[in-house]
Amino acid sequence: MPVITVENLSKTFRTRVRSEGLGASLRALIRPEWRTVQAVREVSFSVEEGEVVAFLGPNGAGKSTTIKMLTGILTPDSGGARVLGLEPSRDRTRLAMGIGAVFGQKSQLWFHLPPSDSFRLLGAIYEIPAPELARRRAELVERFGIGPYMDVPVRKLSLGERIRCEIAASLLHAPRVLFLDEPTIGLDVVVKREIRALLADLRAREGVTIFLTSHDIGDIEKICKRAIIIHHGAVVVDESMKTLKHRALARKYIGVKYAAPADLELPGLAPVKRTEDAASFVVDTRKHNLQEVIRALVDRGEVLDLTVEDEPLEDIIAEVFRGRSEEEARGAARAGGEAES
Amino acid sequence: MNRPRTGRPAAYLRFLAAAFTANLQAVVEYRISFLIQVFGMMLNNAAFAAFWAVLIARTGSVGGYGFTDVMVIWALTSTSFGIAHVLWGNVRSLGSIIQRGELDVYLLQPKDPFVNVLASRTIVSAWGDLAYGYLVLAFLPGTGPERLALFTLLALGGAVIFAAVFSAAESLTFFLGNAGPLSQAVTEFLISFSLYPETIFDSGMRWIFYTILPSGFIAFVPLAVYRSLDWPLVPVLLGVAAVYAGGAYGLFRAGLRRYESGNQMGTRL
Repeated sequence: MPVITVENLSKTFRTRVRSEGLGASLRALIRPEWRTVQAVREVSFSVEEGEVVAFLGPNGAGKSTTIKMLTGILTPDSGGARVLGLEPSRDRTRLAMGIGAVFGQKSQLWFHLPPSDSFRLLGAIYEIPAPELARRRAELVERFGIGPYMDVPVRKLSLGERIRCEIAASLLHAPRVLFLDEPTIGLDVVVKREIRALLADLRAREGVTIFLTSHDIGDIEKICKRAIIIHHGAVVVDESMKTLKHRALARKYIGVKYAAPADLELPGLAPVKRTEDAASFVVDTRKHNLQEVIRALVDRGEVLDLTVEDEPLEDIIAEVFRGRSEEEARGAARAGGEAES
Repeated sequence: MNRPRTGRPAAYLRFLAAAFTANLQAVVEYRISFLIQVFGMMLNNAAFAAFWAVLIARTGSVGGYGFTDVMVIWALTSTSFGIAHVLWGNVRSLGSIIQRGELDVYLLQPKDPFVNVLASRTIVSAWGDLAYGYLVLAFLPGTGPERLALFTLLALGGAVIFAAVFSAAESLTFFLGNAGPLSQAVTEFLISFSLYPETIFDSGMRWIFYTILPSGFIAFVPLAVYRSLDWPLVPVLLGVAAVYAGGAYGLFRAGLRRYESGNQMGTRL
């Protein structure tokens, strides 16, 4: 059963255009100019209970706006969304009882107080009976390994320690859906890995549906089963991680290193990087036979090392964005041409 | 998890008590700063008392107000202002919270965002303002348990009115983008008007004291009630305070529909 359904969700913001200079500012006082920005355009998708979905897109693609509409912070202009059977903008308070949210850039912990005090306050906010709060708190403290930080004021915690406490705090009321907006922003590699492990564990133990926006490809590859890619406010890809990676199988990254300088001229295939005795190639297996390429490379000299890798997910996503932008540019040029003729 | 439906008054009271405790703990984190600010504010207020004592000793009265009257409006204004900022410390930060997109955190929680955001902070120096009113009463003749009880009720009503006017001015941020300067002006005017005898102002402008800058309901009418122990007027004044609170709440809710959030980095202070 879907826990999130989104149909033709759209949101437009109106921003004031301010030109440079005092004269323009004074003119704007009398006759302000407005520009509308379509942040989200007819987005539709649904998420099943227990799914872990990555919601990806470049800066300004509409990720945060969508997540804010799903949590009831923003009201959509048109279209609709239902989360746990409720309409977020109308039933925000009731919905809040069933969802958790961590916005990497905004803290729900009191800055001057230790997390233990914030947890107590959140217990009152979510109306959790004292014995249940104590049990849940003990469980989360243990799982998230935050025991040593519980009595330290949040201002004295590192970002990694704080974000662990943030996620634990968002789970106090045992939400069924967890929204994470850039949860690993600004964290170092080790901490990122810990956070991902905790989220994977959370999904396994509690069956929590996780809806995550991120720039960080590692977040997505490690914990998500499905990716929705949004660009200029519209969904451009919605498929399983497997399918998305399958696109990558068409292209292989081959690295080769020889014992001595070798001739690396291959017909129809130029190396993307090369030195006297080493080179790397990107091979499109739809155009070249992989086996033949490898055989040809092995024939060129004594091979010290040979690697064949899938295209990194980051590059695939970048390609989707590039392709979409080029398509849009062509579309705009066509529209312009038609208008002129 | 099967829990009772949110929004019951008892649950709200528990939440407000927990928020108050957390705020107090946050303040006490910095003990020395707390004491300096509280006593600093009381000293600051006491300096004005000295000024009025000297002035009235020379003139006899100002606009029909004797020294005791001036001190009672000071006490009422100070304690009302103090209670408003002790209980609802974000009343004058609401605009910047809206502007910086920091309402998100409150909107994600199952409590009314207006109540939640206001109650999420306490202002340290306001404890000094709150205490100052009672300190003044302690030195005035005629203060007894009945007057103290009456004063507390009047100050509570005043606190609600202060909070309503300040938060309404700050909520204009939803509509104007930046209501900071306007809010600042409203704050200063409301406090200043509430600290001087009503009669020194031109009668043509006194309607302001019973409408947009309601010093009349914070200081002048409560002074009359306090002087003559006019208990029947207390529920009327509290009713007026409730009307102002309702207006401020309505304005916030109307503005909330225009809230655009934002992605500024921030932390909860």
